[in-house]
Amino acid sequence: MSMRELAVRYGFLVLLVALVAYFAIAADGFASPQSAVFIFQSVAITGVLALGVTATLVVGGFDLSIGSVATTAMMAAAYVMVILEQNAFVAVIACLLIGIIVGLINGFLIVYMRVPDLLATLGMMFLLVGLQRIPTEGRSIATGMTMPDGSVAEGTFSAAFLALGRHRFDFFIQNLIPVSVVVLLVLAVAIWFFLEYTRFGRMMYAVGSNERAAQLAGAPVKAYKIWAYVISGIFASIGGILLAARLGRGDIASGNNLLLDSVAAALIGFAVLGAAKPNAFGTAVGALFVGILLQGLTMMNAPYYTQDFVKGIVLVVALVFTFALSNAGRR
Amino acid sequence: MINRRTLGKLVLGLIGATALMQAPAFAQTAPAPFDNPGNVKIALVRYLSTGDFFQAYLSGVESQAKALGVDLRVLDSRQDAALQADMVDQAIALGVNGIIIQHGLTESMKEAAQRAVDAGIKVVAFDVNVENDKIPQVEQSDRDLARLALEQAIKDNGESWKAGYVYVAGIAPLDRRNETWVEFKKKYPGIEEKAMFGTLDNPIANSVANQARSVVTANPDITVMFAPYDEFAKGVKIAVDEAGLSSSVKIYSADISTSDIAAMREPGSAWAATAATNPAVVGQVSVRALAQLIAGEDPGKQVIVPPTLITQKDLNDNDIKNMEDLSAKLPQFAHADVAMPAWMPNPNKK
Repeated sequence: MSMRELAVRYGFLVLLVALVAYFAIAADGFASPQSAVFIFQSVAITGVLALGVTATLVVGGFDLSIGSVATTAMMAAAYVMVILEQNAFVAVIACLLIGIIVGLINGFLIVYMRVPDLLATLGMMFLLVGLQRIPTEGRSIATGMTMPDGSVAEGTFSAAFLALGRHRFDFFIQNLIPVSVVVLLVLAVAIWFFLEYTRFGRMMYAVGSNERAAQLAGAPVKAYKIWAYVISGIFASIGGILLAARLGRGDIASGNNLLLDSVAAALIGFAVLGAAKPNAFGTAVGALFVGILLQGLTMMNAPYYTQDFVKGIVLVVALVFTFALSNAGRR
Repeated sequence: MINRRTLGKLVLGLIGATALMQAPAFAQTAPAPFDNPGNVKIALVRYLSTGDFFQAYLSGVESQAKALGVDLRVLDSRQDAALQADMVDQAIALGVNGIIIQHGLTESMKEAAQRAVDAGIKVVAFDVNVENDKIPQVEQSDRDLARLALEQAIKDNGESWKAGYVYVAGIAPLDRRNETWVEFKKKYPGIEEKAMFGTLDNPIANSVANQARSVVTANPDITVMFAPYDEFAKGVKIAVDEAGLSSSVKIYSADISTSDIAAMREPGSAWAATAATNPAVVGQVSVRALAQLIAGEDPGKQVIVPPTLITQKDLNDNDIKNMEDLSAKLPQFAHADVAMPAWMPNPNKK
């Protein structure tokens, strides 16, 4: 293996290890199990969203609506529990249904209405940002809130639902690993196995790399594409559930920052192990990379604007790894 | 046209009748033109309107207008600066006696406000500087907000502690709150700012929670978090809870909402106190200042609505669950004695 190939393949992972080593020395309290868990927790929500968007990238599409799907699911969970006074189970089902329905509509618009993916999901993004405000006339949802008609909402976030954001499993140390981290890890392994080792997943890659060839080979291309958006919708709604459980209320939010961070994680993932294509393992590492960087910088008192700056640098470097170096290697 | 005019008269008549019924509420005979308030028309020209704060502000404007018995028109530009200026002209054409300009951009509103003044219409402005000596400014005092919260922090924790501070520069109210923080640090050299962080990435509470978690891990000796915006405080509270430090860190903030009240009242909550101005009261004060102007009185160049300190103990002792309870049980939060001449009806008096 030449130096260049080595650099392309392992460069990013080496960078990751170097970063961890640097922060462990430079930032007090960085090198501890709690801190490691916390970094996972800070990227759990964007990580889950990023894994979903990876599925759409695999079929050569894109989903701009994930951020707003997540915040809409958060509002829906709050609405179901606080205003309709239902339990945690109903709230989770409602969120997942929203994800599935949005995914189906996105897929339908793109596959059957032939709307370009960016435009269809952009439209969906705006639609959802508006939709989540309609039931409460633009108010955030919290227990004891006053409804537009003057009555007071009596429901509360159920303890079981809040546990999704706050319960911690014992792992060597008591109360170490939060539920959201477990969800992230399980989903990451599941989508990684699905994309790499199942026929369905491999076919999705085939659709993404050459749609026409896949079609001529007899693959139901349309179905695969719609499934990709449904997966993305479901993952985004799971992200929304985790968000609602962490915040304990329904917050009016566009979710644009969630979208941008998760897309960045997925794109950084292209560079991991020189894959030069969307892949679940890379996405998870990409999300982790951004998490380590941001938490380390915050521990060292770097102001917020340096964080966006650093995120941008990481993304650009990752894209250079992906496109310039790996292509040159192949030539 | 005739139909609309008769309808207008009918509405005015009805409003006049309501005002007559309320007449005993007037402590003193109101000066002209409020002796016949049905003939007084005022307009609220808004720039910002979505969100809990603006909803509450509007309800305050409406309740004071109703108490006065005047005819209120609400013109909402929904964050369109050009439209907002046009709406001032529209209000002038409607022949209103007074206009409240609620938020907006100095550049777009300055000339429109001047046109209204030139047309002999009285104008007050809330949270927007239209650079006009004839136009009083209604303001909530951000410096007082920060001061009240910090004074409580000193009362609770003494004069020397290690602090975490949440701040994003470039947002006007946060910048004004920051001035007070800087003064306090100078006044009390025992206060040591160990970390400053903050972000407006939405959902803000979630992003701030991630940052705050790092900060408390890196600086376990922080005992006071000053987060002078409630979204910041929510984020810090989540982080402190997750890190298991709820008993060793106290959070002081500004602003309040129903969900903030729930967070402050959680058992063992680290959120000790917040200072807030009631947006409904700000709305009422805006109308009262305008009414004083129309009656030929001078409300002053700056009409400042004082904030209220709300501690965890206040909430628990009075069993306050939401904003309505807060207004009902903390009278200083429900009413501000600002722009209250003797003839002014008090909408909060039942």
